[in-house]
Amino acid sequence: MKVDPRADALARLNASAESANAKWSFDGATPFGEAPDAAPVRRYRLGNGLRLLFLEDASAPVVSYFTWYAVGSRHERPGKTGLAHFFEHLMFNETEARKAGEFDKLLEENGAESNAATWVDWTYYYESLPSDRFALAVTLESERMAKLVLREPQVASEKEVVANERRYRVDDDVEGAANELLYKTAFTKHPYHWPTIGWMPDILGYTPVDCERFYKTYYAPNNAVIIVVGDVREETVLREVRDAYGKLSSSVIPAEDCEPEPPQREVREVEIKKPTATEKLLVGYHGPALGDADHAALTLLSEIMFGGRASRAHRSMVIEKEMASEVRGWVSTFHDPGLFEMFATAREGHQTRELLTALDREIDRVKRDVVLEDELVRAKARLELGTLQSLESTSGKAEVIGFYELILGDPSGVFRRLDVYRRVTAGDIRKAARRYLRDGARTIVRVVPDEDDDEEAREAAQ
Amino acid sequence: MNAMNTTALKTTPPPARATLDGGATLLVEESHALPLVSIVIALRSGSAFDPPGKEGLARIVGRMLRRGSETMKAHAIEDALDRLGGEMSIDLSASSLAVQAQVIGRNLEPFIELLAQLLGTPTFPEDELSRLKRETQAEILEARDNDRSLATYAFRKALFTGHPYGRSSLGTTASTGSITEADARAFYTRHFARANALVAFAGDVTLDQARVLGDKLLARLRVGERIADPVAAPAVVKGRKLFLVDKPDRTQTQILIGGLGTWPHDDDHVAIGVANAIFGGTFTSRLMKAVRSERGWSYGAYARLAVDRQRQSFSMWTFPSATDAAPCIALELELLQAWIDRGVTGEELDFIKQYLIRSQCFEVDTAPKRLHQAIDIEILTLPADYHSGYAAKVAEVTVEAANAAVKRRISTDDLAIVVVGTASDIREGIEKAIPNLAETTVTPFDAET
Repeated sequence: MKVDPRADALARLNASAESANAKWSFDGATPFGEAPDAAPVRRYRLGNGLRLLFLEDASAPVVSYFTWYAVGSRHERPGKTGLAHFFEHLMFNETEARKAGEFDKLLEENGAESNAATWVDWTYYYESLPSDRFALAVTLESERMAKLVLREPQVASEKEVVANERRYRVDDDVEGAANELLYKTAFTKHPYHWPTIGWMPDILGYTPVDCERFYKTYYAPNNAVIIVVGDVREETVLREVRDAYGKLSSSVIPAEDCEPEPPQREVREVEIKKPTATEKLLVGYHGPALGDADHAALTLLSEIMFGGRASRAHRSMVIEKEMASEVRGWVSTFHDPGLFEMFATAREGHQTRELLTALDREIDRVKRDVVLEDELVRAKARLELGTLQSLESTSGKAEVIGFYELILGDPSGVFRRLDVYRRVTAGDIRKAARRYLRDGARTIVRVVPDEDDDEEAREAAQ
Repeated sequence: MNAMNTTALKTTPPPARATLDGGATLLVEESHALPLVSIVIALRSGSAFDPPGKEGLARIVGRMLRRGSETMKAHAIEDALDRLGGEMSIDLSASSLAVQAQVIGRNLEPFIELLAQLLGTPTFPEDELSRLKRETQAEILEARDNDRSLATYAFRKALFTGHPYGRSSLGTTASTGSITEADARAFYTRHFARANALVAFAGDVTLDQARVLGDKLLARLRVGERIADPVAAPAVVKGRKLFLVDKPDRTQTQILIGGLGTWPHDDDHVAIGVANAIFGGTFTSRLMKAVRSERGWSYGAYARLAVDRQRQSFSMWTFPSATDAAPCIALELELLQAWIDRGVTGEELDFIKQYLIRSQCFEVDTAPKRLHQAIDIEILTLPADYHSGYAAKVAEVTVEAANAAVKRRISTDDLAIVVVGTASDIREGIEKAIPNLAETTVTPFDAET
């Protein structure tokens, strides 16, 4: 049996623990890289359920500290949409230990960068600090995991900010509005139906009680994973995190209560008018979850169809036919089955109906014929490059580790995925195309210019 | 200043430096942490060289590099870039045109062969040039969907009227339409020269390797000469002027307010940068606190000093809802006046010094970032210690020096105030919110400029 060389140090640390909640268990190590001797991500768990993943990286005197919570917009309820994202704002506010504004001030004073992100499946908060300031991140994150102050003034002020964020990202943004409509239409039961930022009436209606209930439910050590990547010693990390979080109690995380999305059996089409010069087309097919076997094949298909100037749709619709100024595709990387989104912007004088015909031609082609070997080689190389680019900084590594841990339970999942890409064949891709790109079960969003508004604007300017 | 962790003042060694055949500078920042190599070929010539009426030319020339070479057509070039796991893009500013590339380490040599061919033997085929011009015109149209870029362009145009910094590097529908193959060839021949270029590598490459690869990259370019910057110092636009970019159905506005700012060779360049960081450079700055934290009016509120070879802009950026636009502008003008009249405090200065000095490690935590600092110095002709001496200079800034710099460089009398929004809803309120407003110009968002 393999004995972990650091077991003695861990035993000494655990001997000084004040309670069972504050005892670490070592859950194994996995190389963070394709080579078996790559530096490992080491996995620990505190008695209260808090997971910690550590990767030592001495390439710069910095450290990144990510706290991922297994809560996103899919854990919300109708009427209270956007609450998970709302916390991304509230969490920078007052805690029992710190006045409003002190959190950011302390981090800035110590040269740190910090931010947060929320999506359908998760929320994360991060600090990147000079490595000698590591302890500050631990203190601040542990405080706001359990001692956030949620009273009317904090909630009211942040509601305004989030309403403005929604106007910026959705209401006054053509693509943001179209994307929201795509998911709203394609999903009818599953919570991916509503936007992560939430519906505007819901945002304006949050109360401190809503927030308190959400916080007590999801912000707990047993619903979080901490990722530490940087120029710090493992023993320091284990001791600091244990001392700060070991006193927190776990909570009862409710069992997942998402309705699976029933199969779509018809084409759903919607249209919106916006003050834009050109028409836009969004098409969504129900796709696999990130962990499903077909996801890699469909991602490669998306790359072959939409990835870069040499891709099929770009070459055909942008370069040769000049009917589109831009085409894009993306297979959602969600915990539950999401969408294979396809987006195209029409050139002036062209319409979405032409874009759809051209897109359908490409879709028919990938369902009929296997893709060329050279196309597959190129798509794989592009995905490999993208993976390497995401790993250049400590924060990039920490984000990738956290994402794969949270969605797939595998901190080195990014490398496993590269390996899977390499093994995907042209036959796998055609099979995935036939399985998911079903003509009679897709959602189409068309954005058309609002001509009336255009005329009104000209008259007003005169 | 407060006691400060002196380790934070340590500087990282600059990238290795050499001279290539024909006089081009070579910079190399080795890092073998990932099998990835970044390559930059930067020319000391940017969109400021676009002849009047041919705005967009530098960008078109840069983008034509991948649309046909002596031995490859556009399709074959795109296929080859992807096959090698490589990426190539053009980064264009008024002062520089840079080819930025990245490739998986194992394919570095064939990728350099490909780049050398694209850089050295572009053929500017007529059909590809026409296609690119049409693509660019479509992009110009699409840019109108983005309110922030509408505001940015309108601000530059208002502040630098008639100056190269006020033009769009994208060009206009008319100017890009007028560009000919002869224009493209003439720009290429003059500017794509070894003596006008800098080659830089970061990542999984050694200095010896980079010397050989650098020479290969530029081998097919003529030696030529280093081109002098044609840009003169910009003049101040007098008075407070409101520029409304009118777009229907806006629930929100995009607001940029500012004037001329700093020049890297000013004695007070670091001092004003420090003062600006206090005013609007961080999440706890005066501007952010007043606009977002206390009133919730705008998701973001920042003040920025742009840097180029000549004096560039100072600007405040907010994006409040249409109903909050007028009070937000009034508040920003009050904050600006207070910053100039009363300056910053010793406490604020001590705080921001800690932030600026300690956060320097994030300017140099990856090899590409370290390389880009060195490229900036070369291309923008910044003082040699611009980055390496920054922390020490910040530490020396006094309250008096910071406040004198603000008074000297920032004006509340001469301001361009740009607002993208629905004019019929917001114009009257905004005009009332700006004391001593000299004039208002309303432009439809889709007006050809």
